[in-house]
Amino acid sequence: MRTKRSDTVAAYLFLLPFLVLLLIFFVYATGRAIYFSFTDYDLFRPPNWVGLRNYAALFADALFLSALRNSILFAVIVTAVQTFLALVMAAVLNQKVRGIGFFRAAFYMPSITSSVVITLIFLWMFQRRGLINYLNETLQRHLPVLLAFALILIAVQVVQVAWERRRALPATWTDPALFVVSLLVAFGATWLLLTTGLIQARDVPPVDFIWLQTRDSIPRGAPFWLSVPIPLAAIMIQNVFTTIPTFMLMYLAALQDVPKSHYEAASIDGANATQQFLRITIPSVAPVTFLVLTLSMIGTLQMFDQVAIFGDAAPLRSVVTLAYFVYDRMFPGAQTPEVGFAAAGAMFLAVLTLVVVLLQRRLVRSEGY
Amino acid sequence: MRADTVPRLGAADQRALEQWQARRRWARAGLVYALMLLFAIVFIGPLLFAAVSSLRTDPLAYPPTLAIPQLQPSNWAAAARLGQAGAADRWFGGFAPGAVVPFEIAYFVPDGVDVTDPDVEVPRRRPGAGLGAVLAIEYAADYATVSELQRLPDVPMTVETGDGTITGRRVGYAFTIRYEGDGPVIDRLPLDVTTTVGMQYLDSTLTASRLERRGRTASFNDVAPGVLGYVLRNYVRVFNEVRSPATRQSLFLAWIGNSFTFAAVRIVVTLAIASMAGYALARLRFRGREAIFMLVLFSQMVPLQVLFISNYLVLRDGILTIGGFTLSSLWGYPGGMLNSLTGLVFVTALNAGAVFIMKQFFESIPREVEEAAMIDGANHWRRYWNVVLPMARPALGALTILTFQGAWNDFFWPFIVLTSPENVKTLPIGLLSFRNTYGAVGDWGLILAGAVMSAIPVIILFVVFQRYFMEGVSFGGGKE
Repeated sequence: MRTKRSDTVAAYLFLLPFLVLLLIFFVYATGRAIYFSFTDYDLFRPPNWVGLRNYAALFADALFLSALRNSILFAVIVTAVQTFLALVMAAVLNQKVRGIGFFRAAFYMPSITSSVVITLIFLWMFQRRGLINYLNETLQRHLPVLLAFALILIAVQVVQVAWERRRALPATWTDPALFVVSLLVAFGATWLLLTTGLIQARDVPPVDFIWLQTRDSIPRGAPFWLSVPIPLAAIMIQNVFTTIPTFMLMYLAALQDVPKSHYEAASIDGANATQQFLRITIPSVAPVTFLVLTLSMIGTLQMFDQVAIFGDAAPLRSVVTLAYFVYDRMFPGAQTPEVGFAAAGAMFLAVLTLVVVLLQRRLVRSEGY
Repeated sequence: MRADTVPRLGAADQRALEQWQARRRWARAGLVYALMLLFAIVFIGPLLFAAVSSLRTDPLAYPPTLAIPQLQPSNWAAAARLGQAGAADRWFGGFAPGAVVPFEIAYFVPDGVDVTDPDVEVPRRRPGAGLGAVLAIEYAADYATVSELQRLPDVPMTVETGDGTITGRRVGYAFTIRYEGDGPVIDRLPLDVTTTVGMQYLDSTLTASRLERRGRTASFNDVAPGVLGYVLRNYVRVFNEVRSPATRQSLFLAWIGNSFTFAAVRIVVTLAIASMAGYALARLRFRGREAIFMLVLFSQMVPLQVLFISNYLVLRDGILTIGGFTLSSLWGYPGGMLNSLTGLVFVTALNAGAVFIMKQFFESIPREVEEAAMIDGANHWRRYWNVVLPMARPALGALTILTFQGAWNDFFWPFIVLTSPENVKTLPIGLLSFRNTYGAVGDWGLILAGAVMSAIPVIILFVVFQRYFMEGVSFGGGKE
């Protein structure tokens, strides 16, 4: 279609409100942030040009280095863990079943509620005498029972599969029908062992792990760039928890489009479950994986809400991210705001985000998706 | 079939093998359902557990449990009775002039331990921490008279402990708390019943809120609560105790109002701007179209933290200050637009994602629809308003719901723009000031009750309009 003058006029009239906002709150804002990053602006006195001093100062600032370390570790670990777990869970659930709507609603619940609600609930669970420590303690107390259960389960399954194979039936080690039987047997046997007192829960000291008010990090004694502060690990757990269901459902949708015949052909060729997962499942959902990785990296690199909501519940150094660093320098409480310094930090975050996006674009293109 | 025979695949064997395979399919479906149920419990668990714990007197009480007194029907009945006795209000209770509140408490006394009558007192206890404690209130202690204790007949009983059985008896007491003379109606009637070492608290008309002094003092927050005052105590506190010190206005109500206003205005603004811009980008050919579209895509990649420095200043100072005139003074906000919902609407009105959604949708509407209108000589506005927009109802519906969710849950901009006074905040920011005030003193009942209430509107919306949320996920991806 040709460009007509009346079309152009109409188009710009339609776009007018949007373009005004875009110019003020995006173009102008970006330009000003770039400008401020070269000045010593402090919100009150007129800015003076200082060249690259802010950028040089970033890498001498202990809080910025902590923020950089925290942001990168947070993004990489959370992205890796939640992508992997989402894919595995989707693969396990990959079956057309009725009534998935109800389950889907339940899965989405953590991701539709606000970050404040979820973070407050997790803050409560991470208290010293909170739910997380209690579950940990309960788990440790019942470890012998759980171990016995697992051992019986595996043993019964192995015996059954071996029996079926002797009958020349094509049973795999994860045969579902036999697994149901194994589960029932294991439940019964464990219950018997419990009532006869042959195994019992053991006494363990109360778990009093400090998740929030601590400067410790894991693993202990790791170099600065590889140590994850414990409060940051708490936020990681929360983030993985809230994001997994969304990604899992994206994977599930993609998996349902993979033809069943691929798996059948593979199992005739003697490929086991792991081989099928590696050779069929992972390649066929690669486009979703790239989408999930990009969304996850962008989201986690810009993590801000949780740090702000944790507030004084955890030491700043242990949870600060690049995004929060910018806020903290802009509004440093009783100190003088360092807007120029904050802007330099923001530029660094923006460049980091763009690099991640472009790298993934490049990767996607070279893989041919 | 013997185990060592190798089956030849006759017709019978074939059928047997098919049955064998069918059993596997059934078992697999069963296991998938079980796993889905397990995952659903895991993902919904923290929310549900927090919702149940928000009813507890102290959600941090150890160990965490679902067996809480607030869920026992016997306590509901007692709470209604006591509320009726206290202020003729079985729902919210209270302590009004002329009230006679009957109460019973029972102890286990092992053989060989002397029985000492407990000491009953209506304490002068401040409600919670923070703002609630600041507000001057009347104390029930100033008006209540506790009657003489009446000892109930002893009942022999035994108690099982880890080391064996202890024999003893159940010793009960009955008494009344009266409000004599005239005076104000008081919200709460707290009670402390203290006994000596050796006597163990068993039960009472209403389960004790907590045991203090190594179990010697059974402490009650309110012995005339009414059903709702008892079960939803933390929820009632959210509305009653959190008030603006100056105006006594309920802050939580103000926050709810602000959140709804913000969401409503933002929906209107977003729908108008995004549908117009989306229409132009999808349907009109003009110079600069590609450049604008690239800008839209690019704007979604730049972190908020880059933009907020300048945008904060735009709200504070206006865009440009020329001879004392600023843009914000044009809107009647000479003092800047910080700490106002108007400022918040302005700074969040740029929504490139919404423009993108509308553009995608308009591109899916066949061109012929518009061409018919074009032949009739309708101009662009008529084509947009009368032809295309009515067809876009599904997209507008989805956008409405997603925008509501986004506005209701929005944290970053309200956090920057709305800082003081307390009553300009939206719910998420208000909840954050809950955490700062009450989290420090370990009063999590109030925080959890507020959090649960603020999650409810979005959950209702989600349950009703699930489909739209799914579309939102496929449009915009996951949340940050």
